Amino acid sequence: MLTVVKNQCRISFLSIKYALMREMLNKTTFITNVIFMVLNNASFIIQWIVLYSLRNDIGGYTFRQVLLLWGMASGTYGVAHFFFKKAFSLSDIINNGKLDSFLVQPKNVLLSVIVSDVETSALGDMLYGFIMLIIYGITPYTLILYCLFIICGGLILTSISVILSSLSFWFSKTDMIAETGNNLMVNFATYPDGIFKGLVKALLFTFIPVGITTFIPVHVITEFNINLFIIVILVTVIFITLAFLIFFRGLKRYSSSNLMVARI
Amino acid sequence: MRKYLFIYKSELMSNLQYVFNVFAGFIGYFILMVIFLNLWKYVYSNPDEIINGYSMNQMIWYVIVTEILWSSLSGRSFCNKISEDVRSGNIAYNINKPYNYILYSLMSHLGSRTICFIMYVIFGMLVGFIFLGSFPTLSILSIIAVLISSIFAFIISTLLITFIGLFSFVIEDSAPFYWVYSKLILVLGTIFPIEYFPKFIRPILTFSPIYVVSYGPAKLFVDFSWNNFIFIFIAQIIYIIIAYMLCFVTYKKGVKKLNVNGG
Amino acid sequence: MAIIKVKNLSKTFKVKLKEKGLKGSLKSIVKPRYKTIHAVKNISFEVDKGEMIAFIGPNGAGKSTTIKMLTGILYPDKGDIKVLDINPKYERKTLAYNIGTVFGQKEQLWTHLTPYDNFKFFGAIYDIPESRVESKIKELSMLFELEEFINTPVRNLSLGQRIRCEIVASLIHEPKILFLDEPTIGLDPVVKGNIRTLIKRMNKEFKTTIFLTSHDVSDIEKLCKRVIIINNGKIVLDDDMTNLKYNYLNKKIVEAKMKEKVNLDDEDGITIIKDKGYNLKIEVDTKKRSVADAIKLLNPDNIIDINISNVPLEEIISSIYKERDVK
Repeated sequence: MLTVVKNQCRISFLSIKYALMREMLNKTTFITNVIFMVLNNASFIIQWIVLYSLRNDIGGYTFRQVLLLWGMASGTYGVAHFFFKKAFSLSDIINNGKLDSFLVQPKNVLLSVIVSDVETSALGDMLYGFIMLIIYGITPYTLILYCLFIICGGLILTSISVILSSLSFWFSKTDMIAETGNNLMVNFATYPDGIFKGLVKALLFTFIPVGITTFIPVHVITEFNINLFIIVILVTVIFITLAFLIFFRGLKRYSSSNLMVARI
Repeated sequence: MRKYLFIYKSELMSNLQYVFNVFAGFIGYFILMVIFLNLWKYVYSNPDEIINGYSMNQMIWYVIVTEILWSSLSGRSFCNKISEDVRSGNIAYNINKPYNYILYSLMSHLGSRTICFIMYVIFGMLVGFIFLGSFPTLSILSIIAVLISSIFAFIISTLLITFIGLFSFVIEDSAPFYWVYSKLILVLGTIFPIEYFPKFIRPILTFSPIYVVSYGPAKLFVDFSWNNFIFIFIAQIIYIIIAYMLCFVTYKKGVKKLNVNGG
Repeated sequence: MAIIKVKNLSKTFKVKLKEKGLKGSLKSIVKPRYKTIHAVKNISFEVDKGEMIAFIGPNGAGKSTTIKMLTGILYPDKGDIKVLDINPKYERKTLAYNIGTVFGQKEQLWTHLTPYDNFKFFGAIYDIPESRVESKIKELSMLFELEEFINTPVRNLSLGQRIRCEIVASLIHEPKILFLDEPTIGLDPVVKGNIRTLIKRMNKEFKTTIFLTSHDVSDIEKLCKRVIIINNGKIVLDDDMTNLKYNYLNKKIVEAKMKEKVNLDDEDGITIIKDKGYNLKIEVDTKKRSVADAIKLLNPDNIIDINISNVPLEEIISSIYKERDVK
């Protein structure tokens, strides 16, 4: 059992390494992509400078905490999209029968597919996340917590995309649902949770768990709370389990490239 | 002129079948509006407060209008199309055709976005009404004025993006320039009106494209005055002329260069 | 000893129907219409160890669907499959360690890496120790003549070279059965011949059972001893290659463009299919008369252009049907 896990990890890392090598074939494009993503995220600071010129706190956050929030959001996004890029186009892979070559390999299909490519610009997101952490105040303690949280958050984002994309095994035209779900997770993540009330707030800690991926981590890094910490870990495990269960349930209905739309 | 109208019409008809794709965009638009509604409700401690000359309702309507203009523009794919025309050399074939390339791409883009624009206007007004329960007070005449300045804003955006796309004559990839332009508009032009920025930046913003492509129509919608309209209208006319000239000169020079190199 | 056993296998797909235009797409969203397609209908067959079997049929006959069920990609609706006594439905991974697959239309290699690095990657996928991968790569690259370009990135290789690398990549883990799905699709005749020779050599060397699908009759003619023909999801013929050759592949089609009109009548071994004076199409039964003889009858000096081809697979299938009806 242990060797199986070890071999699976080895092949996943190898796959990510090769995919990264492919991205680095053109050095200029590679570096430009990373830098532009850092600048892209940085440009939104202007918005917060203006907002904090109106009030000293927005949603109970100080300006420094907003920077940490941005660091958290882009860090989780970066982890998910760099390591598991293909989880975000899984609907297309299922619909167009591109799982075939992974199904004939003696490895976990889901894992093999999602690590088969990397997103260069997501490296910029991760880099930006660390820059924000440094501005917020980096200590060994915040660094360890931060790394742990972006990994958990990245895994949750990936799991959500896998779960929603797996709907494609059952229904056609569900790629829009997956896309919307992914957008929801990204859009809410860069605004302090204090500005949301009622139904929206309830949604953010349940069906759109931005609360777990970004808001709680920011609170825990600011002020440690063991219960909240455990909740994040627990929710991550639940989401990963669900992702695997639903994907493999759907895989039985996989129809390769045979499910084409017939025109009449 | 008739042939450009024809180009516009045929693009309009052929885009009817993609109506469903617009609905997908509505979801993202709606999320953004929910966020801004919450954000401004938090920043404005009471609904009657006025910050930098704007009430809370006006701030929300402002972002509704600027986002309509931005979302229905679909600028990135249009910019890619122009650069692709340049890079593939397709643009050289257009020289011998009896129409002007700049006007052709302007009309075909307007044609392909019209339905989308109308749908966004309806959806945006609906969202605003549901959130706030009322519309800004506007007379029929001023509504027409707002529409005119919106259409002009659309035309200027299209021409400016055409200009950026034509950069491909000089530098192979114009994407970074488009990126800078889109950041400029999104960060400085859609969320806050110019009055929200520090005094020393305001004149720069007033002369920048932001004033004519997003601030102008939105400002008129939330706080209409004929005085403002005339200012914005004149600025837009000047911008259309400048943007068109920029496109035309870049196109002429680029095509010449292309011919010298043998295409 | 049978290493592939298929019994009463069936698979159906539900395909969404779409009508043209805006109204059509509107309709398909509101009320989608489906059509059930029976891709594979109740087929049974067995394959013995070391056999080279051809699985042929026209496009859409159910070839790929069957091969995908045998390799664990698709779940069968009905019926039993045992490949090496493993049920692909439940033990996909165990099966994967023991079989190799090459899909002509889908590339499994990383194109920016060299074939050598790719083979090492596949070695890691199949958990093969480093030292054994090295020796296996050496052995296979000799057999498939890859030495020349083993260190050139795959994207710089020709299609034929790529297919050879694909086959080698699928042999790294010494599979007992190799599934080849249209391996020669899109290749020119010379390269096709080359690939065939190599496959034959490999079968001899390693005694690997080979399951080959194709819609090209000549692929099979040259490679396989046994052939299964599938059409409309049903097995039409399961027979020895020699029998098939004797009964169906002995006919050639000769199309000729002539300078002058020829008057040719049906003779023993020659059937006239089309006669438009200057353009002639005849079928030659090579059991009774050689092609050279037939050309002589046409008067070679008068031929402007000539084309000699095999009888298309579709016609062989229909002639098989016709025979059955007579019986």
